[in-house]
Amino acid sequence: MTISTLPGDTPEEGGAVGTTVRRKEDGRLVTGHGRYVSDLRLPGMRQVAFLRSPYGHARLRRIDASAARTADGVDGVFTGDSAEIAAVGLRALSALPSYIETEQPVLARAKVRFAGEAVAAVVAGDRYQAEDAIELIDVDYEPLPATVCAWAEPEVPVHDEAPDNVLLQRTFEAGDVPETMAGAYLVLERELVTNRHAGNPMECRAGVALWDYADNRLTFWSGTQVPHLARNMLAELVGLPEGNVRVIAPDVGGGFGTKAVLYPEDVALCLMARAMRGVPLKWVEDRSEHLLAATHARDHRYLMRAGFAEDGRLLALEADVTCNVGAYSVYPWTAGIEPLMAGGLLTGPYRLGHYRCTVRGVATNTSPSGPYRGVARPASVFAMETVLDEAAHELGMDAVDIRRRNLITVGDVPYRMPTRLIDESGRYGECLDKVLDSIGYDGFRAEQARRREAGENPIGVGFACYNELTGLGRAAAAGPRMAFRTGHDACTVRINPDGRVTVLSGVTSQGQGLETTIAQVVADAVGVAYDDVDVRIGDTTESLWGFGAFSSRQAVIGGGAAHRAGEAVRGRVLALAAALFEVEEAKLKLEAGRVHIIGVRDELATLAELARVAYLESNRLPDGFEPGLEATRFYDPIRGAFAAGVQAAIVEVDRATGEMAILRWACVEDTGRVINPQIVHGQVAGAIVQGIGGALYEHLVYDEAGNLTTGTLMDYLMPTSAEIPELDIGHIEVPADNPLGVRGVGEGGTLGPNAVLAGAVADALGVRISRLPITPAVVWEAVQ
Amino acid sequence: MKPARFDYLQATSVTEAVGALAAAEGEAKILAGGQSLVPLMALRMGRPSLVVDVNRIPGLGGMAIADGVVRIGALTRHSALSEQRAHPLLAEAARWIGHQAIRSRGTVGGSIAHADPSAELPVVATALDAVALVANPAGRRRIPAADLFAGPFETTLGHDEMIIALDFPVPRRWGFAELSRRHGDFGLVTVAAAEIDGRVRIAVGGVGGVPYRAVDAEARLADVELTPAAFDEAARLTASGIDPADDLHATAAYRRAMTAEHTRRALLRLRERPEGVPA
Repeated sequence: MTISTLPGDTPEEGGAVGTTVRRKEDGRLVTGHGRYVSDLRLPGMRQVAFLRSPYGHARLRRIDASAARTADGVDGVFTGDSAEIAAVGLRALSALPSYIETEQPVLARAKVRFAGEAVAAVVAGDRYQAEDAIELIDVDYEPLPATVCAWAEPEVPVHDEAPDNVLLQRTFEAGDVPETMAGAYLVLERELVTNRHAGNPMECRAGVALWDYADNRLTFWSGTQVPHLARNMLAELVGLPEGNVRVIAPDVGGGFGTKAVLYPEDVALCLMARAMRGVPLKWVEDRSEHLLAATHARDHRYLMRAGFAEDGRLLALEADVTCNVGAYSVYPWTAGIEPLMAGGLLTGPYRLGHYRCTVRGVATNTSPSGPYRGVARPASVFAMETVLDEAAHELGMDAVDIRRRNLITVGDVPYRMPTRLIDESGRYGECLDKVLDSIGYDGFRAEQARRREAGENPIGVGFACYNELTGLGRAAAAGPRMAFRTGHDACTVRINPDGRVTVLSGVTSQGQGLETTIAQVVADAVGVAYDDVDVRIGDTTESLWGFGAFSSRQAVIGGGAAHRAGEAVRGRVLALAAALFEVEEAKLKLEAGRVHIIGVRDELATLAELARVAYLESNRLPDGFEPGLEATRFYDPIRGAFAAGVQAAIVEVDRATGEMAILRWACVEDTGRVINPQIVHGQVAGAIVQGIGGALYEHLVYDEAGNLTTGTLMDYLMPTSAEIPELDIGHIEVPADNPLGVRGVGEGGTLGPNAVLAGAVADALGVRISRLPITPAVVWEAVQ
Repeated sequence: MKPARFDYLQATSVTEAVGALAAAEGEAKILAGGQSLVPLMALRMGRPSLVVDVNRIPGLGGMAIADGVVRIGALTRHSALSEQRAHPLLAEAARWIGHQAIRSRGTVGGSIAHADPSAELPVVATALDAVALVANPAGRRRIPAADLFAGPFETTLGHDEMIIALDFPVPRRWGFAELSRRHGDFGLVTVAAAEIDGRVRIAVGGVGGVPYRAVDAEARLADVELTPAAFDEAARLTASGIDPADDLHATAAYRRAMTAEHTRRALLRLRERPEGVPA
């Protein structure tokens, strides 16, 4: 054995974390070989189509499906009264005292509560036959007055249990608001209304359910973000042992929260599969169905009353927030998902001692609202930032100065927010500095004044400062005291007999590259090459547990579990090597798949040699050493990791038409340690784009009768690349308190654009923007 | 989003196509580029019992220029229209239609026959007094644009008729202005202004059931110097001649104001554009 010293021999050298490695999933995704539920074909498979209510609110008097049952190719027709369907209802649970529990039927029973609610399902040989048969179902509806606005008095309540339609109400309170407000130099009152969005992933919802004929097992292929949760819920709903239910989320074409819900259509598929054992049933949601009946979000009203000191300090905030939660308390997240997030994070990254905020979730005859990228905060940040902008205006301060006056600073952290969340980032000032530099704020005001004097099109600047709460642990978990806490994920790292690594991770991916991210983490934690790590996700029979994709949690939590499991396996490898070679374990390291003595270039053994011993040569195993090289670990960060973020933009407004051109856009977030720069950049950019879409274009509109008037992508406008400016995206990397030091980056970008664009238009024109979206017509009307 | 049952005929001649249309007694639709028909069928808002595919009929494409008029075959794709140089106004208008994929399939005849009041080509056809060459089982006839558009998505074409070509006069000068929510969307307001035989013509789309021909404004501009002040007045007259409705994307007041603004812009572009130089 020759001994030589390795220069620069540090644990970080050559690590996969922090580099833009080639994404594992791209080989199939970019060559058109992705495996989506929509692509799945099984022998004997039948297609399902749902009949959806044309009424926003109506009693169901009679359903006659006899003609449909005998139509070409039809194998079955199910309604809410079919025995298999009627036995099950979805009840989202919460222990909050004010919460009113209601039931969502799998197919409508007795009445329909929103236009698009599934009333019946047809199983047929193909989707054409299924849609033909649906037209033959005769439903006798007795229309009822519909309520579509959450702050209007209902004529007929959506649920009898809640005569005022309020499903949940809670007041957050800290300090003494009345007294502080009374002493404030300036008290601002504003009403702000935000617009209703749909998630609109490229692949709509999709599912295939197969109930094995003989052994009573249910397999559900689903484009879900939450396969383990879905398995747990489905097992309970259909009454199977959990081990008899397998949920598989293969490649999923986007989710954005919309697919973190267990939908009545999902449950209907499984129940119909039970009634038709041995026959795989497939439903692929089309775009019309998605806009009608997948969850919506962000239909909120904020009544804000804010007290400021003369120097711009925010002294007290009183708010009343109403969220339109739609016809049902979304399963399993409940009607609390948006209102509680709005109230919990409304004050954002600003120091505030006196806060009183009442939030309520109000049922209406519209599609249920659910989790959608950014959950409530694109709306609440808009409300908060608008108040700051107007206070600055009233006090004669610059928009930047009033923010600096109030932002939580590094010296303040850990900062206990008035809602008792602990902000441990504090780097808002640093993010703001970088953003100002990026947009060229120094010269901006002079140019703005010059244009004003020259009579040219005005320009304006808008800002948003936000704290994205990511990777929520058990103490900060998402959701309103539900029957489960979402703090942890599991990961299994297995070294195969050939020395290569298979990872069974509880994370899921809807395109955000989790196979790559987890592989990077495990490669470094174990000490193997990135290319030697294979990551399996999305199948509940493979991974032990994961709550899934939401709350920007997977890099923090799933990544933490992967890191811990990888380290545990490395420990096993080193222990084995130490025993086999009679070297002290602490003197060994595993790097690039080779074990060697620290400081010595040549290896003692390759990982493949050691793995062979562990699996195939038990005669060589040290006494008491368990065969195999595998470890499973959980990780729960207990709290969460706040990600500081600031965005700003400069826009130019055409006074004649109200059209807006975005001239500059900058975003700087505290991403913590970056695992993969390209993926992080993509996440932030995509989130900003979604936010710009939400601020300027996307808006679901119901008429007073409860009909969705934006039922296609001709009317529900989504941004294309032509609408998006160059985005200058920067980071600061302050390690968070978790094994990898990472912060979530999935959602933060969506939080800024509403506030940024509303603020920029207001700054350019000296008008108030109180409603979203900001369309050219709205801007034009504001300047008339 | 699956269409209802329909029969399909791939016609190989105009005679066969119009014969099939006649036999279907109004229950047939012509499939050209399919950019409007197919989505409408998928939504089951369109339910023809027969689809007559005209894509394989020889002689329906191509362009020819004679006597200051460009004849454009009905099957000419928007992408080809956007690339030709014989008729710069049509090229400019075609570039505003949808996105590349849509322009690669969509046809001139299809867009005119579909008669979407917000579509670009009906506006240009109205401004230019284009003429549709129409075939039916009895023979051929010519329909001027002014007589062709009958209402939103409605034409005076008989159920047994198909457009086989369109004659678009080439203007001496022209201007085009469109306001749309996003790149590629149908216009909220689309204005085409064109000078033919020394007279400025103006048509506006998106503000009524059919493209609006601004005759009052045209009269105002007749025989006067084309100055910004004259344009302001013409824009005002154009806006006062329309009767738009409120809809999802704009109020009537906004559409009216944008009609004035874009009429002004189209006229200014007309004036600024040197003669004979393509866009």
